[in-house]
Amino acid sequence: MNTALRISHVGLRGIVGQGLTATHVMEFAAAFGTFLEPGRPVILGRDPRLSGNMIREGVVASLLACGHDVIDLGIVSTPVVQHAIQRLDAAGGIAISASHNTIDWNALRFFGPSGIYLNTAEAGELLDIYHLHRFRFEEWNKLGQLTVSPNAIDAYLDGLARVFDLERLRPLRVVVDCCNGTSALILRRMNERFGCGFILINERVDGRTVAHTPNTTASIAELQLGPLMQPLQADAGFLFDMDADRVALADELGRGVSEEAVLPMLADHLLPRSPGKLIIANLSSTALLEDVAARHGGRVLRVPVGRQAAIDALSTYRPEQIALAGEGTGAVMMPQFRFVYDGIASMLALLTMIRDRGQTVSQILAGYPRHHILKAEVPLTSPNIPALLMELQELFPDGVLDRTDGLRVAWPDRWFHVRVSQTEPIIRVIAEQRDSEPRELFETLLDRVRSWN
Amino acid sequence: MARREHLLKVGVSGVRGVIGGFLTPGLGASFAQAFGTYVGKGRVVIGRDTRTSGPMLTHAVNCGLLAAGCEVIDLGVLPTPTIQMYVAHVKARGGIALTASHNPPEYNALKLFNREGLFFNQYERNELLDLFHQSQFTQAGNDDIRTVQQDRTTAPALHIERVLRHVDADRIRRRRFRVALDGVNGAGSEMSVHFLGSVLQTQLEAISVDPSQVFPRIAEPRPDTLTELAALVRRTGADVGFGQDPDGDRLAVCDENGHVLDNDDVLALAVQRALAHTPGDVVVNLTTSATIDDLAARHGRKVYRTPVGEANVVEMMQAVKAAIGGEGSSGGIIYPAVHLCRDSYTAMALLLDLMAETGQTVSELVAGLPRYARLSGKVPFEHGRLGTLMQSLEESFPDAQTNRMDGLKLLWEGRWLHVRSSNTEPLLRLAVEARTAEQAQALFDEAWRRLTS
Repeated sequence: MNTALRISHVGLRGIVGQGLTATHVMEFAAAFGTFLEPGRPVILGRDPRLSGNMIREGVVASLLACGHDVIDLGIVSTPVVQHAIQRLDAAGGIAISASHNTIDWNALRFFGPSGIYLNTAEAGELLDIYHLHRFRFEEWNKLGQLTVSPNAIDAYLDGLARVFDLERLRPLRVVVDCCNGTSALILRRMNERFGCGFILINERVDGRTVAHTPNTTASIAELQLGPLMQPLQADAGFLFDMDADRVALADELGRGVSEEAVLPMLADHLLPRSPGKLIIANLSSTALLEDVAARHGGRVLRVPVGRQAAIDALSTYRPEQIALAGEGTGAVMMPQFRFVYDGIASMLALLTMIRDRGQTVSQILAGYPRHHILKAEVPLTSPNIPALLMELQELFPDGVLDRTDGLRVAWPDRWFHVRVSQTEPIIRVIAEQRDSEPRELFETLLDRVRSWN
Repeated sequence: MARREHLLKVGVSGVRGVIGGFLTPGLGASFAQAFGTYVGKGRVVIGRDTRTSGPMLTHAVNCGLLAAGCEVIDLGVLPTPTIQMYVAHVKARGGIALTASHNPPEYNALKLFNREGLFFNQYERNELLDLFHQSQFTQAGNDDIRTVQQDRTTAPALHIERVLRHVDADRIRRRRFRVALDGVNGAGSEMSVHFLGSVLQTQLEAISVDPSQVFPRIAEPRPDTLTELAALVRRTGADVGFGQDPDGDRLAVCDENGHVLDNDDVLALAVQRALAHTPGDVVVNLTTSATIDDLAARHGRKVYRTPVGEANVVEMMQAVKAAIGGEGSSGGIIYPAVHLCRDSYTAMALLLDLMAETGQTVSELVAGLPRYARLSGKVPFEHGRLGTLMQSLEESFPDAQTNRMDGLKLLWEGRWLHVRSSNTEPLLRLAVEARTAEQAQALFDEAWRRLTS
């Protein structure tokens, strides 16, 4: 099956040249230009992928043709685009980035006013306009103007410096794997402007080569950062994806920390200041969240997997009701620095936590109950997934059932989640248990799923 | 059938249409991608005139070219001939000028050039059009996507230097001519002021030379659209007035009395000047005055006739290694010693040089040309009637010599008539020429009666 092009509520993404073409880009940007209210500018930014040069031109052309002024920030992270939308009171924005996908991919991500991802209703409208192919192109004397704004990273850093005490973080020794992405530009500038001492690896930004898959997992963090931690006597190591919206970390001993741990650690850090507030997480994220929430009197709201469900949940609560939101991939949104997935802000919050507690990363993690998570992917071959889920449901009648996204069954010390991926033709099977691996449960599930057809 | 303007035309001469719903950014990008596929990966030069849709269309074309794996050199706002010379100079794969030439401001178009900076010949044009319709474009992946480079200085200097090689610039400078200029706020505005004022040191009186403003008059430079220039000549006592079109390829000339010359006479003066200095024959289209035949005969040179259209003239000029060529009524001359393209700068320089060489005024120079009377008009026709009309016209003049290369041309000793259908509207264009005004009027009336009865 060809998965090189996906057009969905999340936007447009694919392998450039083999699926994702200039025509898709121009039509999708024209649909967005038609969708947005006229009058205010549209913000544009891109990650360093070379294909971003081509996509940028197409997006600019379509937005200008729809009568929108465009402010191009150049090569910046996705959170910088979102920050600029709010700062410049723009109608919305587009980030050209395939984030954690491999270098041959690219994508368009769409934001509304104040830099928030489109919710499902808005994204549906955008898709309808795209499929209808009826774009609102303006006449020759009502076209938009392009301006280039090279200082967006500085303005974003000003915003970060208002939330985080950067001075206080300076004594920490921090190694960062930039994965040849936009975090390199941001952290270099932080070193220059604020005297931070971030030690950067994989920091060459040429859009052609990446040192490794730009995904934020514990294993990559351990492989890339692990060998450096003790020789450099580093306190923490961080790993970003291409557009710096996700983060993973390594502890001071050089061990990769599970990507599942980022959200609970931040919850542990933030909940004491926001007692009783909500943590929005998806059904596949670790149960450590509930443990942490219980310590601070917080509450966990589980939503279906995928950015869209989190965005929709965020839009149904008032901001002051929410402590933070995120997923087990290292993508976290915090209210103190706007509700956007922002890896840099997550890193600064974690460093603040380390300073506040006077503990090392491994000491902080040692303070939590140990949860063991097992994950597998099974190729999707059967069309009859509902019957599979029903069979599994009947097999485990004693657990707490959640059918909002596939099947999740939870017991006090363990849970499992079986669902079909939104982005690939696979079934994801996840099981987690406190104190020991849920090997038996996991194997039972895998057997059933694999033999189903 | 009702007469209507063609709002979009995709054909062998490229894409031309009205901005808004017709010439869309997506269409511009697709055509550019077809072009990039045809010329192959490598450098492609682009530039534009001053239309408000120019920036939007530039980004669209950039997108299509980058998607085809080409590297783009963007020259910004420059005359079409300047862009053409640069293409050959930097050994690019080809070039695209974004200009609808003399069409109204709501139009724009892609003019396409091969690696020599020449219009595509008919074979190249057909092949490109097929490629566009087949939509099987080169789709570059991330590794093969290049960038857009800017070069704003090389091309104008190159163009001016080329022109100066073929005139006696010192002779022109010594005369300190008083020159009036109407730049129609077009692509040549700044370059013309520099060329006439600084390079040729004329006493320049310029109007409409602000490229940020819209066209202040009908864009095509003709006697009836250049009343302001004529007034400027009279008010300032200028020796000569020059009127350009938006992309600086066509030129109309006003004599020292404020009388705007027939464009055929401008070509004739250039032919006279060229044949005196350059070996070779002359190529003009079927509608160009017989004055050219008389001048060529004086120098023992041949005249080749082609269908109407710059590309046709250029193609023939290349084949016969012509000394000079052009299209009389549409204004502008093609002097291959400079470059095989229509060029208002070469025309200005040749005329000023002829004035300096002979010491004659413009009106005196025109008076020295063989005299013919010319008339032209447009006749609407019903679709499906064209063949019958042409046939009946041919039958009613059995004594004439006929040429059916482009519509119908009927020739007698000392007079001719030419009827051809417009490329863009259901209109017949009728042109006649004879030795006297009475003869011309009689022939015109007779043809008009046959075509409208």
